[in-house]
Amino acid sequence: MANFETLRNFGTDQELWAGIRRGDESAFTMMFDAYHSTLYNYGFKLCSNSGIVEDAVQDVFIDIWRLRHNLTEDITSIKFYLYRALRRRITVALGKFPLTEEISVLDENNEPSSFSNTETMLIASESSEIRSKQIQDLLAGLPERQVEALTLRYFDDFSIDEISQIMGVSEKSVRNFIYKALTSMREHRQSLLLSSLIFCLLFIF
Amino acid sequence: MKYDQYSLTELIRNDDFIAWVRHPDEASEARWQEFLKNNPEKRSVVEDARGYVNLVAEDTGKHKPTTEQSRKMWSVVESHMADDAEEEVSVAEEKTINSWQWARIAASVVLIAGFGVAVYWYQHKPSQVAIVNANVEVGTISDVIEKVNDSDKPMTILLEDGSSVVLEPAGKLSFFVKSTTAKREVSLRGKAFFEIVKDKKRPFIVYTDGLATKVLGTSFLIDAPENGSEIKVEVKTGQVSVFPLSLNASEKEKEAFSKPELTGTILNRDEKIAFSKVNGKTIKLQDTPRVVNVTTDIADQLFIFDETPASEVFKALESAYNIKIVYKESLISNCPLNATLVGQSFTEKLTAICIALDAQYEIRDDHVIISGKGCK
Repeated sequence: MANFETLRNFGTDQELWAGIRRGDESAFTMMFDAYHSTLYNYGFKLCSNSGIVEDAVQDVFIDIWRLRHNLTEDITSIKFYLYRALRRRITVALGKFPLTEEISVLDENNEPSSFSNTETMLIASESSEIRSKQIQDLLAGLPERQVEALTLRYFDDFSIDEISQIMGVSEKSVRNFIYKALTSMREHRQSLLLSSLIFCLLFIF
Repeated sequence: MKYDQYSLTELIRNDDFIAWVRHPDEASEARWQEFLKNNPEKRSVVEDARGYVNLVAEDTGKHKPTTEQSRKMWSVVESHMADDAEEEVSVAEEKTINSWQWARIAASVVLIAGFGVAVYWYQHKPSQVAIVNANVEVGTISDVIEKVNDSDKPMTILLEDGSSVVLEPAGKLSFFVKSTTAKREVSLRGKAFFEIVKDKKRPFIVYTDGLATKVLGTSFLIDAPENGSEIKVEVKTGQVSVFPLSLNASEKEKEAFSKPELTGTILNRDEKIAFSKVNGKTIKLQDTPRVVNVTTDIADQLFIFDETPASEVFKALESAYNIKIVYKESLISNCPLNATLVGQSFTEKLTAICIALDAQYEIRDDHVIISGKGCK
């Protein structure tokens, strides 16, 4: 997760964080510029009311500035800290308690012991437009938490360990969310094929 | 079938592979090129997997804020950077969030219940204007005040927290003499303009027939005529949220609304909504040109002064809030003032003016006394 082009002046997260703790406004501004946009993108996966997401993003930054003298000294990743704080805020704003629940629907044991025949799940060598459309439809139909996990994994580049801490579930659950999301891609494809087949049959007769 | 760690699905979920696709560096590039050289038959699978990773990344990343939204968020954050000196809170707050939140919710529930009783009492005894004691929390008694404007001029009500409410004729406002630490609440019948002192921790909530309006600090107009079928809310500055109060609202909805975060329908500056009491629907109103009011409508007045003599500033305030302002004319009248007093409460405006004039103010029953040595 090293993407600090915009943070050159402060080199590392630790240096930027130290700047913020000192009350350096340019460090704070830099952090806002670097992270607010992807943070909002993530927030939108949790709640599609842009007003609530905007408020939550603002509050995460406002809190950091307000509490800057009392912030923890050691930080491994500012981005991780921000995402966790945002998720907590939005969860509270939506009135969901508690923040670290394990989803009961998600059976820890139903992950296949081996992924040996998952090759069939995604079909290789399809045209890129079909694939792009396929992914779009797939994501639109997925449960919120699967989209959240995919976002954190593929767009935000978090590790499974970090995602599990952000979402407040076990690593196994995170793997499961992602696995299920990729599996539904196959199911979605099949239902698409089936419906187009039926359509063709109707058309012929 | 043999387990193949370089199958399409395995690749898509492989840490090292994702890192290489998303942010290739010299080491990963070398490693994967080496792999492809040794396993040329995997080239098409790798390309497909790369395509999927990129597509998922692209698709999950398409909800970035617009430039306008970014600008808006930054301006809010920036405004807090300036005025944060007053509230230094320790990190202990974050650790105990769960326990105090429960306490707060418990307190709010009791409070709403108590307030509901008080409001019911008033609505069914319209002829009485008296103070009723409502039991709010164990051990404390909060007095509820009801103000009725039976004059033909607007009436300004100053609340304990420094906020002001301009109540139009025939309007009715009920509130606690002392509000709790968690929230500030009032109940309104009729039309009123609110200028609420900012307090992020204590939302200000206005209850009207079937609709609650929540703000953290801003100015807005509410028109809730007693016999009308609609309630109108119009925002002048800042942001407010409105929330229909259905009888069967879930506990979760109620809890969410009692928290400081703005939820429900959010209204921004210069936006208006109409809430229908009949079907409980909320409609955003287009910016229709307002019918020019004969009476001075405070919501439409801009208190922007540029080298304006103090006497004129006071005159503007007197007519807007219908409060007499008494001062020594020979000393203060001609002092020039520069001020933009939009969205602040009456007392905040007075404070700002008095700082500029190096004067003090004192609020009496129906008038304000300004004392100072004057300019020069």
